[in-house]
Amino acid sequence: MTDVRSQRPAESRAANPAPRRRRNSLSSRRARTALMFVAPQVIGLLVFTAGPLVASLGLSFTHWDLVAPQPTFTGLENWQHLLGDDRIPAVLWNTVRFILVGTSSFLVFSLLAALLTYTPSRLVGLYRAALFLPYVLSQIAVGVVWRWMFNSQSGPITVGVELLGIPSPDWLLDPATAMSSIAMVVTWQTVGYGMTLYISALQGVPAPLLEAATIDGANRWQRFRHVTIPIISPTIFFLSVTSLIGAFQLFDPVVAMTGASIGGSGPATAGGPSNSTRTIVLYMYNQMFNYDEPISGLGYAAAIAWMLAMLIFIVTAIQFVVGGRFVYTEAERAPRRVRRGKGTR
Amino acid sequence: MKTVRARTALYHGAMIVLTFAFVFPALLAVSMSLRTDANMFAADQLIPHPITFEHYARLFEALPDLWRYFLNTLVIAVLGTAGTLLSSSMAGFALARIRFPGRGALLIAMLLTLMVPVHATLIPQYVIFRELGWLNTPLPIVVPLLFGTPFATFFFRQYFIALPLELEDAAAIDGAGPWRTFFRIFVPLSGSAYLAIGLLTFVSLWNSYFLNTIYLARQESWVLTQALQSLIGRYQTDYGAIMAGVTLVSLPILIAYLIFQRRIVHGISMTGLAN
Repeated sequence: MTDVRSQRPAESRAANPAPRRRRNSLSSRRARTALMFVAPQVIGLLVFTAGPLVASLGLSFTHWDLVAPQPTFTGLENWQHLLGDDRIPAVLWNTVRFILVGTSSFLVFSLLAALLTYTPSRLVGLYRAALFLPYVLSQIAVGVVWRWMFNSQSGPITVGVELLGIPSPDWLLDPATAMSSIAMVVTWQTVGYGMTLYISALQGVPAPLLEAATIDGANRWQRFRHVTIPIISPTIFFLSVTSLIGAFQLFDPVVAMTGASIGGSGPATAGGPSNSTRTIVLYMYNQMFNYDEPISGLGYAAAIAWMLAMLIFIVTAIQFVVGGRFVYTEAERAPRRVRRGKGTR
Repeated sequence: MKTVRARTALYHGAMIVLTFAFVFPALLAVSMSLRTDANMFAADQLIPHPITFEHYARLFEALPDLWRYFLNTLVIAVLGTAGTLLSSSMAGFALARIRFPGRGALLIAMLLTLMVPVHATLIPQYVIFRELGWLNTPLPIVVPLLFGTPFATFFFRQYFIALPLELEDAAAIDGAGPWRTFFRIFVPLSGSAYLAIGLLTFVSLWNSYFLNTIYLARQESWVLTQALQSLIGRYQTDYGAIMAGVTLVSLPILIAYLIFQRRIVHGISMTGLAN
């Protein structure tokens, strides 16, 4: 802005007589400039996150089907209904099943993939590129292809399993295996992402530390368990937090692998077989646009969305409390790095 | 010596199998899109012979507006990426380089925002955008991005914090204020950060589905992922057309990945540092 530059000479002129006033005006000018820089982000946070979050809570105490011009206040009705709605425990259980198979295998397999590929060489670069490839593709495209892979008649997975002489399960068509199949696909698609973060963490493990452990008589497993794991623990923690947050929001892969399409309303038909893959968000989506039931519509969907937000908050908070004990922090290195860039002077 | 070589061979053998498992579905999709109907389910057709493009023709018959969906997707991805880059890099610069009251609070607020699922803010936004007549236009998706995203802001903050302090000193000697310092010195120096976060944002917008399916219900406003999803029910058995759709939708991203693979992967590995 122009005022920043025009005030510059004043700043040097005022250098000797009144140092205190100078500092005040300088810092307030700096604050004003900073405010201009962060204004879009701050406005965005207020208008598109904080405001709607509060409004959403307000809506959760109303009934609204969008046909009526305005929401009607219904007090705690939605929340009471939510506590008694037997579809809620069902979708939560589906999410838990997804986490048990998907999130845990993601954390383990991406570490394994990183261990297999963290020493750089030309071939390893190729392996990494291949493992990472599914991550850049859309979950809809990937889901559609895997839907064919799992096809019970001639899908490659089914055929492959039967070649081994094992009767193949019905994958996406059997309520017992559908969610696990989706979880496997999500793990397959995201392993490259986890691997990438683990690789940069593994490259930060100081070689002298490993050598010292070897001299002390530690075997390979002991070195991994007591040197490598503590040093990469911030990454393990970061990936557990983000992948769990993601698991609670599962939607696209379920639509791609279980939804049909009638006039483009894919999500409304997804979640099968027998609702065994219906997730929290899928249920919220359906309630948002479903006005057949007495308690449904935007108000009830807002209550479900708030329940989701609270669940994520609680689970993340628990992780921070529990993780705080296990995560190794580089106490002396971190503050210095932060201090370096502070302030423009 | 012999055991070392055997182990190396075993390692590369295993890795090639693994690599194949990760590339196979993409290969299969391209392959099936080029097979004749008679060969669709044949096991020896991974490299299709003979090759046919009839499924692509059928895809355009089924979705005559495919170019329109392509354009819709492109508009959202380009505008959303540009807005995110500008606003988030500005905020990231101030958070990294200017000391101002409320900076710590803003950082904490942004951290907390990362935990808030989009769903919890979706319904009031939907109501307002509907009121404004923005449904079935790119606006509900693009406009919030013009204000930047906390994720990208964090990324830029981490990047700018690591640049040497002398940059501002040199700029100050030249009499440049923060705006000129930012746009003339920091932005040109940070091409790799802009490229990395730009690619990540673009890819995620290109691939996104959930918000689009909420805001873009009318068919002419669809994006590619919606069009692709719509193929499933109608052409349940027409795998050729479905795979042609998968191939076309993924092709731009695949090409970008082949060109910028290092950048994308590097950008991803930098996002881990944000914690």
